[in-house]
Amino acid sequence: MAFVSLRSATLLGVQGAPVEIEIHLGMGLPGFTIVGQPDESCRESRDRVRAALLSCDLPWPNRRITVNLANGANERKGGAGLDVAIAIGLLVVQEMLTAEAVAPYAFIGELGLDGSLRGVAGVVPLVAAIDDRIVVVPKAVLREARVVSQHTVRGVASLSELVQCLRGEQQWYQPEPLTSIREEYEQSDMADVRGQSAARHACEIAAAGAHHLLLVGPPGAGKSMLAQRLAGILPDLSDTDAVTSTIVHSAAHIALPQSGLVSRPPFRAPHHSTSLVAMVGGGTSALRPGEISLATNGVLFLDELGEFAPSVLDALRQPLEEGVVRIARARSSVSLPAKFLLIAATNPCPCGEGAPGICVCDDRAKQKYLRRFSGPLLDRFDLRVAVTRPHVDELLAAQPSESSQQIAARVMRARQYALQRGGCLNSALPADMLDVHAPLTEGAAKLLRNHLERGRLSGRGYHRVRRVARTIADLHSEQEHVEEKHVAVALALRVGVQPQFSGDRVAQ
Amino acid sequence: MNKPTSIDDECVIAAVLATKASVKSRALSHMLDRFTPSQIASHHIEHPPTLQECERMADRLELTAMNVTYVGARDYPTMLLSDPSRSPVLFWRGDMTALQQRRVGVVGTRSATAAGRYMASHLSFDLAERGIAIVSGLARGVDAWAHKGVSVAHMRKSSPTTLGIPVGVVASGLDVVYPKENLELWNFVSEFGLLLSESPPGTAPEAYRFPMRNRILAALSEVLVVVESRAAGGSMITVEEAQKRDITVMAVPGSPRNTSSAGTNLLLQQGCAPVVGVDDVLVALGLDTRSEHPPIFDSRPPLLAQDAALAATMAGDALTLDQLVLRTRRDVLDLAFALGRMESLGWVVNNGGWWEVLGVQSQSGYGGFHGIESHVGD
Repeated sequence: MAFVSLRSATLLGVQGAPVEIEIHLGMGLPGFTIVGQPDESCRESRDRVRAALLSCDLPWPNRRITVNLANGANERKGGAGLDVAIAIGLLVVQEMLTAEAVAPYAFIGELGLDGSLRGVAGVVPLVAAIDDRIVVVPKAVLREARVVSQHTVRGVASLSELVQCLRGEQQWYQPEPLTSIREEYEQSDMADVRGQSAARHACEIAAAGAHHLLLVGPPGAGKSMLAQRLAGILPDLSDTDAVTSTIVHSAAHIALPQSGLVSRPPFRAPHHSTSLVAMVGGGTSALRPGEISLATNGVLFLDELGEFAPSVLDALRQPLEEGVVRIARARSSVSLPAKFLLIAATNPCPCGEGAPGICVCDDRAKQKYLRRFSGPLLDRFDLRVAVTRPHVDELLAAQPSESSQQIAARVMRARQYALQRGGCLNSALPADMLDVHAPLTEGAAKLLRNHLERGRLSGRGYHRVRRVARTIADLHSEQEHVEEKHVAVALALRVGVQPQFSGDRVAQ
Repeated sequence: MNKPTSIDDECVIAAVLATKASVKSRALSHMLDRFTPSQIASHHIEHPPTLQECERMADRLELTAMNVTYVGARDYPTMLLSDPSRSPVLFWRGDMTALQQRRVGVVGTRSATAAGRYMASHLSFDLAERGIAIVSGLARGVDAWAHKGVSVAHMRKSSPTTLGIPVGVVASGLDVVYPKENLELWNFVSEFGLLLSESPPGTAPEAYRFPMRNRILAALSEVLVVVESRAAGGSMITVEEAQKRDITVMAVPGSPRNTSSAGTNLLLQQGCAPVVGVDDVLVALGLDTRSEHPPIFDSRPPLLAQDAALAATMAGDALTLDQLVLRTRRDVLDLAFALGRMESLGWVVNNGGWWEVLGVQSQSGYGGFHGIESHVGD
């Protein structure tokens, strides 16, 4: 038999695409050619496959070998995940295996030179892309492959094992059945944060209503500590959200939790030197998901917001609005999920102190510093809170803080109220539905009016404050009207980032 | 041939002499005691100004609408004449008669708190309403807010005859506005008051000129009020200059937590008189105009008792919501509500995340916390 066709899959963004691997063995000078727009790592599989076959005492045909990678889209095929399929195909054309024996299977995996099977990026979407066959994957990623797909999946450790299984000389490895392993997550607890009651309160509101949060404060005030604990008070992911997050993590080849399913909201904290591509995704020909996609359904924490490149920050604006990021390259374009809760921390001014009377920066220096963040980005933060280093005495005198568990319960309840009421979290409430879902009491309306009249609140800010106030009311189980105190808190937690001076008889 | 005898404008010659690096300021000052600028130009210096130079200067002065006065000229400010380190030549715009008013210098740090800015503008406003000129340096922060207070007084009054006039003493040339954001204020001062500099037109705001500017500022003030200053701020140089000249220095007390009040608190410690309201300054000037002028009227609605207590607890500090929670042991929600209420009435302001009380008014002024029991946390 001089020709065989096998099934495998390649990855683009967070989506797998099935690929037909056609192998032809013909007369001519011995050689090995891969056609069908393979990328560099794909072309290298020639050497890996040869070494792996020889290592396993399997024959290598000294004839002219042509491998064609075919899928309908005529796209470039990348990755080393096609190695196993090519190796098995070569054994079929050499009649070491029968075509019938391999027909019900699809193969995903990279080969080591010793014939072992290695995991590849994006096993979850790759397996999901193949719908009518049993998928053989490296044993290392078997758990991952089984979690989200309904397919029959087989795991093997090496090429020789795979050959024996296909010949029927050995039983397929039987993994223990998937019990719903609930993992004990080691997450830091909000109870560790002493003092900072306003900031903790802001975190709670951010979690309950999915409001983006900006923490402004000097170094060492506990901004990062708060942000890290924020993921812990978010509720578990729903099944669909968990699958989405798992697929993204798999596509980026990030270690999955023990249970295989990302069931807790992810927490991503990229360093401020992160490049644009690493942030939004792209880069490789497979268009690897970026940090914002990895943070999907979880928290994206940007420490030292002012140190990020302006282009990186501005690239966040569209995903923040739409919840997806569309990446287009000359050869391909993909849309990646990017529905995250943005938590950012920044120093208030160049000297880092910020507190009036302590800070040595004049207004101009402060303005110059704050000009690093574009206005539209600052506008996306519903909550802007000043955080300070608590005084030692104050720290010791403070009551022990609430634990994450207690806060999470309230967050969960508030989220349920919001979902029952409007079908979405409060931050996503459309402006025209605010009067329906977040009616104001007279006092609340008056307070907002006062702020609008004095130019302290823009039109957009007005809607944002109302959404936050709705969340605050929900957290206090105040399901009907939004009261004046809720609006007052929403306003107090949305401090002007610009230094302000008003409210006196001279300026009026 | 080139002797500028044909130009009889002494002012222009004085201006040209001021630009000459070879003519030392002190020497020129001495010479002007005995000779007119034209005599000095033709007989007493090595490289006399050329006709061309004089013409260029005349054009430049006209273009930038600047006037010149020199020691010996009729309009040279008398309070500077006896000064040991007087400037021989001064460039000015506006109205020299402003200096006939009573004059109070209001100076302070560039990085002022909201409460400091409030104090600077209100004090100047009240002084201006009482016909007292405000001398300041048109820098960022307190200086700018002092003159903003004066500008509000001028914008409100229909007849400006009785109002105090702004006097700005700057370090750069009058045509080099620095800092740029004060352009509007700069124009206000030259239009309604007096803008003064010893630097010739086109002089850049070099750092060494600011301490020199401060000596003129001090010399022009009868009383110098420091609103907020760090322990080693530029305002402290002005204070030194004032003390050398035996000019009364007064200081606005601030919270000991604020480093921006460290200098003023130090002055108070050394025995300077404190300023918490306009009356303190009036008394220092030997004026008591309470019977002639309307009392200071605070248009803000009075605070509720518990809010007044909260304001007292803040004790002049700038505090975040967190710090307030720790200090008062009150619930965040409750506290934010109270602050929102006070802010809408104009009693507190949120300055970039930090809450500040704006002059809790008592009978003795804007800044005192008298008669209200303090609840400062232990």
